[in-house]
Amino acid sequence: MASPLPQVLLDGLFAGGTYALMAAGMALILGVVKVINLSHGAFFTLGAYVAYALAERGVETPIAAAPLAAVIAFAFGVFLGKSFVNPARSHPFALPVGTLACALLFEQAAQMAWGPHPLSIGADAPWIGPGGLVIRRWGVIAFLSSAALLGGLRWVLSARPGLSLRLIAEDEEIAGSLGMDVEAIRYLTFGGACAMAAAAGALLSPSGAVTPTMGRAPLLLSLVVVIVAGMDSVAAIFLLSIGLGIFGNACAWFLSPQWSYVALLAAVCLLLSARPAGIVALAGRRD
Amino acid sequence: MTVNPGSLLRPPYILIGPAALFLYLFSCVFPAAPCVAAAHPDALKIGVLAPLSGPYAAGGTSFVQAATLAVEQANAEGGVFGQRVTIVVGDTQGRVDVAKAEALRLVSREKVSALVGAYLSEETVGVMEVAAAHRTVLLVPVAATAEITDKVRREYARYRYVFRVGYSIPQWAEMIAAFLSDRKVRRYAFVGAGIRWNRELGETLERIVAPLGIAPAYTAYYSPGNPAFDTVAVAAAAASPDIVILADPGRNSVSFLKRLRESAPALPALSIGGALGDARLAASVPLSAPVYVQAAAWRGVSAAATAYVERYEHRFGAPPVGYSDTLPYDAVTVLVAAWRKAGSAATEAVVPVLERGTFAGAAGAYRFDDAHQADWGTGPGALRGIFVRWERDGARIVFPPR
Repeated sequence: MASPLPQVLLDGLFAGGTYALMAAGMALILGVVKVINLSHGAFFTLGAYVAYALAERGVETPIAAAPLAAVIAFAFGVFLGKSFVNPARSHPFALPVGTLACALLFEQAAQMAWGPHPLSIGADAPWIGPGGLVIRRWGVIAFLSSAALLGGLRWVLSARPGLSLRLIAEDEEIAGSLGMDVEAIRYLTFGGACAMAAAAGALLSPSGAVTPTMGRAPLLLSLVVVIVAGMDSVAAIFLLSIGLGIFGNACAWFLSPQWSYVALLAAVCLLLSARPAGIVALAGRRD
Repeated sequence: MTVNPGSLLRPPYILIGPAALFLYLFSCVFPAAPCVAAAHPDALKIGVLAPLSGPYAAGGTSFVQAATLAVEQANAEGGVFGQRVTIVVGDTQGRVDVAKAEALRLVSREKVSALVGAYLSEETVGVMEVAAAHRTVLLVPVAATAEITDKVRREYARYRYVFRVGYSIPQWAEMIAAFLSDRKVRRYAFVGAGIRWNRELGETLERIVAPLGIAPAYTAYYSPGNPAFDTVAVAAAAASPDIVILADPGRNSVSFLKRLRESAPALPALSIGGALGDARLAASVPLSAPVYVQAAAWRGVSAAATAYVERYEHRFGAPPVGYSDTLPYDAVTVLVAAWRKAGSAATEAVVPVLERGTFAGAAGAYRFDDAHQADWGTGPGALRGIFVRWERDGARIVFPPR
């Protein structure tokens, strides 16, 4: 390969795909349930451990682990949504603190069950593209999954099945007066978003090490993406994720690896200060 | 809208039931980790400082497990002057302030007779101050910064209680240089987490290998919190080195090596002081090119090393990684031997014994120089460490030649 720059940019695209994968569920929770779920990263970790547990039993394909992880996380998410999120929603500080406590509880549980030592699942060799371009399999999975998830979410929200979600997101009282079971839709949405995070964790598990705290970084970045993009546009979430992924990698390449995260967060701060309501307002369009 | 003040208390009540049930079930299924020994009222106490939470929890847990094993071994041999030995653990969380506070707690409240730790160089430099102020023996197993022994040399009266069992940065660089020379490396890439000992090691290694005609082709440090693996792996491969030296003690070493293998499947890698000494992790990494690991000791190097590895594996269900476990094991072993030789655990009696004696450990015979640094390196009689290469059926010792 003549210059490594195309490789750096392609990897940035894939990194953006991983942000978008997590941000999809986070946007759903923020938009419909209207809570900041700090346990979202714990569900990502749960998915990775499900993939590891299956790999230990000879099922080494993360694609096979994703549905199982999603089902387990959905059950946990519904339980959490019904028993804690719905009753505590009216108290502004209870939910972030409570969901953070749930995340820490899960991390401790994972540490007790699997130990603090990093675990790892074997990854398949990458594809080699034109000019020796390395196409990382987990990156392709992240990119395509996030595109599919966010595309599906956009379709659901714009079509008839998403009417109840849109209505609840706009005005819960009207939704309730129309006979919708707002409480049930909220905790089912919460469970669905948790399932998306767990599926993401399972799909991305071969790319790195599986540890109890592995969900923290994706949690922060997905939260940043959703807040900056605004919750009104699914396309903006996807495009911003990809943009930040490429920007972070480009900074690592042109400046220094240690500067990439700083530069990324600095860019986010600039965007927020320019447009606190999110960049969708900047573009002047809504989905 | 009216708010019932009583309802503010609802969320915690709702959680109490499930949380209690969850904790009860967990305590039944996963009993408390046996690695943290309970304090025994009439026992000699060793304060062990290691990160049991935070990004270095894995290394810290191995650290405490190994210390526990050494204490169990000492007690099986009859303890020290008829007394049992126990460890009291302080969780440093990988933070200097917490490490100092925990050291203070162990010394002043738990009344430990000596300290072993901490893990990171930053933490250890902080803990040295507590040990000096309270005139408590401190054995340093893994922290490598030259500042530790420099302080002992410069201000002996203040820091004479501090002894380093593990290798210092210059000694470490010397051992790596010997290995690189043996492998006929001319250009290397040095990559690691942007923490203190990595930077010191990178700079020292560059200086030590220069007379051997070896030079760095690429150097990069990434943020441990959110590392830019992809870019670093691509850049390291693009620099066309003969080998990549991976200086990362934590989980990121696995993730980085996976990226490196994707970018450059034929590029050899050397992991120093990292998690890649764990056979379970090594099994998940493609071995399309050599993966070397440097360790303090390894199974098969000596009878003592093999006995230690087997005991560790039997006790904890997995073999040690050879660094963050082996050196703490040896630190406790050296301390117990010094207590026995001195006939006392009193600091003033133990310090001269440590200064003059020779102590057997899993990695070999420990002797301390004027700066209270154990003799590691390539010289005659020095502790030499070991380099292994992972293969499909396990690790093979490749250096020093045997």
